[in-house]
Amino acid sequence: MKKNGNPYEWTADEFPEVTVSFRDTRGVKTGSWRNLRPVIHDQEKYGPCSKACPTNTLIPQYFYQFLERGDLDAAGQVLLKHNPIPSITGRVCPHPCERACNRKRFDEAISIREIERFVGDYILDKKGQPPAKETGKTIAVVGSGPAGMTAAYYLRQKGHRVVVFEKDPKGGGVLRYGIPEYRLPSEIVDRELQALERMGVEFRYQTKVGKDISIEELLQTYDAVFLGYGAHLERRMGIPGDEYLMSGVEFLRHVNEGNRTPPGKKVAVVGGGNVAMDVIRTLLRLGAEPVLLYRRTRKEMPALEEEIERAIEDGIEFQYLTQPIKAEKKNGKIVLTCVKMQLGEPDRSGRRRPVPIEGSEFEEEYDAVITAIGEYVDTSFLPKEVLDDHGWLVADKKTGKTAIPGLFAGGDVVSGPATVVEAIGWARRASEHIHAYVMGEELQPQPLPKTVSFLLIQMEYFQKKPRVAVPELPVEERIRAYDREEILGFNKELALQEVQRCFLCGTCNSCGNCYVFCPDAAVEWVDNKPQINYDYCKGCGICSAECPRGVIDMEQERLF
Amino acid sequence: MKVLEKSEMKVITGNHAVSYGAKLARVEVIAAYPITPQTTIVELLSEMVAEGDLKARFITVESEHSAMAGCISASIAGARAFTATSSQGLALMHEMLHWAAGVRAPIVMANVNRALAAPWSIWTDQNDSLSQRDTGWMQLYAESNQEALDFVILGYKVAEQVLLPMMIVLDAFILSHTSEPVEIYPQEVVDAFLPPYQNPYALNFDNPQVIGGLADPQVYFEFRYKLQKAHERAIQVFKEEGQRFGELFGRTYDTLEPFMLEDAEEVLVTAGSTTSTARYAVQKLREKGHKVGLLKLRMFRPFPFEDIRQALRGRKKVGIIDRNLSYGHHGIFYQEIKSALYGQSGAPLLFGYVTGLGGRDIRAEDIEAIYEDLRSRTEPQEIIWKGVRL
Repeated sequence: MKKNGNPYEWTADEFPEVTVSFRDTRGVKTGSWRNLRPVIHDQEKYGPCSKACPTNTLIPQYFYQFLERGDLDAAGQVLLKHNPIPSITGRVCPHPCERACNRKRFDEAISIREIERFVGDYILDKKGQPPAKETGKTIAVVGSGPAGMTAAYYLRQKGHRVVVFEKDPKGGGVLRYGIPEYRLPSEIVDRELQALERMGVEFRYQTKVGKDISIEELLQTYDAVFLGYGAHLERRMGIPGDEYLMSGVEFLRHVNEGNRTPPGKKVAVVGGGNVAMDVIRTLLRLGAEPVLLYRRTRKEMPALEEEIERAIEDGIEFQYLTQPIKAEKKNGKIVLTCVKMQLGEPDRSGRRRPVPIEGSEFEEEYDAVITAIGEYVDTSFLPKEVLDDHGWLVADKKTGKTAIPGLFAGGDVVSGPATVVEAIGWARRASEHIHAYVMGEELQPQPLPKTVSFLLIQMEYFQKKPRVAVPELPVEERIRAYDREEILGFNKELALQEVQRCFLCGTCNSCGNCYVFCPDAAVEWVDNKPQINYDYCKGCGICSAECPRGVIDMEQERLF
Repeated sequence: MKVLEKSEMKVITGNHAVSYGAKLARVEVIAAYPITPQTTIVELLSEMVAEGDLKARFITVESEHSAMAGCISASIAGARAFTATSSQGLALMHEMLHWAAGVRAPIVMANVNRALAAPWSIWTDQNDSLSQRDTGWMQLYAESNQEALDFVILGYKVAEQVLLPMMIVLDAFILSHTSEPVEIYPQEVVDAFLPPYQNPYALNFDNPQVIGGLADPQVYFEFRYKLQKAHERAIQVFKEEGQRFGELFGRTYDTLEPFMLEDAEEVLVTAGSTTSTARYAVQKLREKGHKVGLLKLRMFRPFPFEDIRQALRGRKKVGIIDRNLSYGHHGIFYQEIKSALYGQSGAPLLFGYVTGLGGRDIRAEDIEAIYEDLRSRTEPQEIIWKGVRL
């Protein structure tokens, strides 16, 4: 067999037996054949969790730091980019991320909230670095609840002087005065506020905007104002004897202020939302025997499913299809007249409307009756030009801008009562626009990252594994312990076990599939990550198809 | 019959005999797709791999086309590659069969003979493997489960010397799913016979080359000439290795196997498991005083022209039993034997019997009837249908 010369002149005997090329194939740059180009979008895409999260927290990205690199500090830093108070959302968030989790369609969603709580607690006392340099701009934040804390954190991080105005003697808003201890200890809220103080955020407690200082004054004194207070006012039932009924919001505030005595033994709670659940479960823990009265059925209850289930586990009695119509005070007791309801046609919310059953009225005697039928926002002190016809504050959901330049708002103050995580997301977005506003910059709209859909996850590479059980207090213990957290949370070992289940949608963990499967050896391995050598990549798409976690996209090659 | 003292006798199906053959041959890569009646070959192999009894990579693929592509890649990367298929699967592999031979990949593949659709059938006939006659593959037809095992080992020994792929053919169900005693040889004896595969053309990353790239009209022809020459060489290599196999394992293999042929005036020619039935029938006919003999065709590609001529020269009549048919032509073994005898002095009269398509039974009585028919005829006949309802 010959190795050189002109093959056109070789005899058959001089040819190799196998049809092997005469030259090294590296001279043939097969990349020119490509129509579609594989692009490695490592950590550039959203998992469905991030997309579903109102803060867009980069969940797979911070999981990756924890799981693959074992670096909890780095994980915390990634987490804090979108959520400054993860120790709080790690406890109270209704976790829309988990409902969207791709893993849910494989076996069970990842316990994202519990991992967040673990990482959030880990960095709780480590965060709070003051900014490297001051901008000289000053910003007023109204309210120290989740929205206010978030705006304060991100604006202070940018180097602005931030002053938070809080009507109460202590900070935290709903986190301190609304959410019971067994769900969120006030000690955690204290530590979150301390982190803000370490950054240099100033707090003016017992300073009620609209009374002690006006919005107009703030607008004159500060470069920008952010309204981030909550929905503290409770709707009244509007029935005869309304004055004998206690407000759920007020009740929770009293308990959170240290008053641990229930208003009586036999207490009725009216409502079916999250406040109603907090009120009734708190009553139980304080030694009362509460009963829930709700005018529709469990299916229509607006409270989070998890909270309803926990209340039922607690052994609380729910009386459905029951509507109070009159309250009277007799011998120090409340006599409540109720009517039984039945469900009629669906209303605008899609829930079936309760209709009274004629002649079904009945009376029941209680030591106290607490209502929790909805909260609303006090806008009485706000300038008229930022309100709509109903008197509600209007602000853009993406930017927080109101009709007054320099006045921004976000969270419950705009939306009415919603979740902590929605307030955080809104306030974070608003803080970016506030920063741009005070610096006189123009914010360029960023394209929304692509989301890794379930179809991009290659199931063959994963094994079924159930969620790691979260340690909790046993029911019989928790119903007697208002001051003890009922969910104990993961330790590092459990958190790591659970985070190992994550598909890491859109985040490369250097599994090497693309490298192994590339038929052209065009995937190269640089610093433990894949890199495409476009000189040889023909664009077959196998790397993309075999990526277990949707990191590699095939994109149209730009030919001209 | 156990030949080697250290061997193990197992009562196993033909398919499992193939699996054990592959295990003894220490195959390194198996890429396969399931199809009835082949599946149990690779099923057992996958278990062997999973349990660590066989150090090999088992690649599950999405089609037979890919199975063969996987084997070719493994082979040109320097590994000993194995696969198995049947019928429709083999047909789907067709393009890759040409590739395997063209890049001179010494793959061994078991094909379980199954009739091709339409209409659907899972039962045996030889049209699937014979349809792949011109792909450049060698073909061996097994009569027994023992032969199926032996051919895998012998197959690699021959294939790797001449750089040609080898197809081992066994009948659906009659062999594939029927158990009989099979001798499983001691590994060390097999190792002594079959050393690890050394591919002088194996691809390597330091000097990347393309195998099977574009060859223009100035070079293609030479490669194809060499492919034919390799086939011609393979006959002699097979004969030598079949001899050596006999010395080591007690079973000697040649391209053909005669039975009661010495003084035979009439000869029946068979391939595959029909041979066993025919052997029994011929023995009975001999007892009745008929001068009949049997010639078993073991190697079909390369075709043993010389051996055929020697075996059949001077016979009066030869009846060729084809469990296959080239539509628009005749039985395929009939054609091939006819072409070997063309222009030869002393060539016998040839009779082509087409029978047993789609797995219809060929019983000893049927073979005797074929012989009676053969005796009664004086003029050669290209197709004589046996067993079809007319």
